[in-house]
Amino acid sequence: MIKYFRDIWESISTMMTGLGITWKHMVHIRRDNVTLQYPEEKWPRPERNIGFDHSNYNVIRSRLQVDIDDCIGCLKCERACPVQCIKIVTEKAPTRGEDIQEIGHIGVTSNSSRKAMVVTRFDIDMTECCYCNLCTYPCPEECIFMTGGPNAHKHPIDYEFSEFDRSDLIYRFAKPGTKEGMDKLKPTEKVKA
Amino acid sequence: MTVDLLFSWLSSLTSTIEDSSILLLVAIIIPCVALFLVMAVNAIVMVYVERKVAAFMQDRVGPMGQGVGLHAGKWGLLQTVADALKLLTKEDIIPEKADKFLFILAPFVIFIGAFIAIVAVPFGETVIVADFNIGIFYILAMGSLGVIGIIIAGWSSNNKWSLYGGMRSAAQIVSYEIPAGLSIIVIIMLTGTLSMQGIIEYQSGGMGNWIIFANPFAFIAFLIYFISVIAETNRTPFDIPEAESELVGGFHTEYSGMRWSFFFLSEYANMLVVCAVAAAGFLGGWHSPIPGYFDSNGWGIFWMLSKIVFLIFIMMWFRWTFPRLRVDQLMNVCWKVFLPISLINIFGVGVWTLIFG
Repeated sequence: MIKYFRDIWESISTMMTGLGITWKHMVHIRRDNVTLQYPEEKWPRPERNIGFDHSNYNVIRSRLQVDIDDCIGCLKCERACPVQCIKIVTEKAPTRGEDIQEIGHIGVTSNSSRKAMVVTRFDIDMTECCYCNLCTYPCPEECIFMTGGPNAHKHPIDYEFSEFDRSDLIYRFAKPGTKEGMDKLKPTEKVKA
Repeated sequence: MTVDLLFSWLSSLTSTIEDSSILLLVAIIIPCVALFLVMAVNAIVMVYVERKVAAFMQDRVGPMGQGVGLHAGKWGLLQTVADALKLLTKEDIIPEKADKFLFILAPFVIFIGAFIAIVAVPFGETVIVADFNIGIFYILAMGSLGVIGIIIAGWSSNNKWSLYGGMRSAAQIVSYEIPAGLSIIVIIMLTGTLSMQGIIEYQSGGMGNWIIFANPFAFIAFLIYFISVIAETNRTPFDIPEAESELVGGFHTEYSGMRWSFFFLSEYANMLVVCAVAAAGFLGGWHSPIPGYFDSNGWGIFWMLSKIVFLIFIMMWFRWTFPRLRVDQLMNVCWKVFLPISLINIFGVGVWTLIFG
């Protein structure tokens, strides 16, 4: 008989303990919450320690970015790419180092090199990219780079780019309308000549 | 009460209609539609609250969103609405070997059981659809109609799990009706009436007059009643008829879409009914805790609803704290603990009223 009442008491007291635990978790949800509202909140990225000062040596592996205004169309990155994910088409500029207003072409790079070529197509297929970073080293104008790292002031790091369609992962850096603009320009050149 | 008021109001509006039976029908239909809305809103709100409470107790955040659009509204407020819309548009699947007539009938039987019980629930001094003189007895009787629906659902699905769920549910609900009913007898002994309004009238005049604080036996009766109705509404820790992990949903395994959501609606409506009975029977119903303050008719609805919501929250708290009981443990608790204690309770209340008042 005593065991009967002891069992009842034990069950009630242990139930209270359990209820207390869940209550504590419920009222301290702001402190104990483990869920991250992902697109709005992100875990902080850890500090990178690669053994040397990475401010002048960019080995960050994120999305490739091209500053097309600085590109001289030398095709060095296209040749360096081990998976051929970079496709560049260039056309000869009418006059070296001169702006072409119609297509928004800027003749001189930020390194004050005069451009001989107009880049009509500069596509990087990020589905094929192997993030080897080999394209960024030969660039004479340092206009192709991985976002973030030393270039974070130009382009903040983007390591989670995703699209609804696979073809949207082909990043087209040439200014839209460049090819059509060049096609229109050509016949007028011939007439002048 | 409400029907009578509506009827007299409608009669005063239209003197042209001679046939008063049409007016009576309208006066009956209006509160029934209102009650259906109460049930639907209760289900939608309580599903949201339950998901949030569950999430908070498990250190999660539950349904979340940052704005109307792709997300489910601020704090996921529209999540249940979106789920309800999804359920409404889902395909209605009836298994080939199922007993089609009974399969279609079962959700309606359960729903009707919950719906006609809510008719006698008082939400205020005049806000009650039907104030029977046997109100509490009527609610208990109609509340047990649901078990028939559950057995029909389990049988007609032609599925072993569903049948197990239905059978377990029958055993469980029939067993737990007894301690719940014996605890209700304590209320009836103290108040001397079966009418819901009469029971609430007895508890007027502040917290001290509530039956739960009337004497220690009444407090134990409240605990037994509350735990028993958790078992009657098939909620964790007494959810062996549904038992997701062993019976794959039990009696509603084969149901989908709108039919399944009827089960859900009825579960939450049953919670509302049993919590309303607990609030009216033990916690003073629509009376304010402090006599004289906020005790008008409108505040009555507020007090009644807040008491019901508080009790439903405790049910949720139980659900996300305790693991499911085994069948033998369940029956053990009912027949070996609750039944003798509630019998002693009745005796104790009788002796207490004889000695103290």
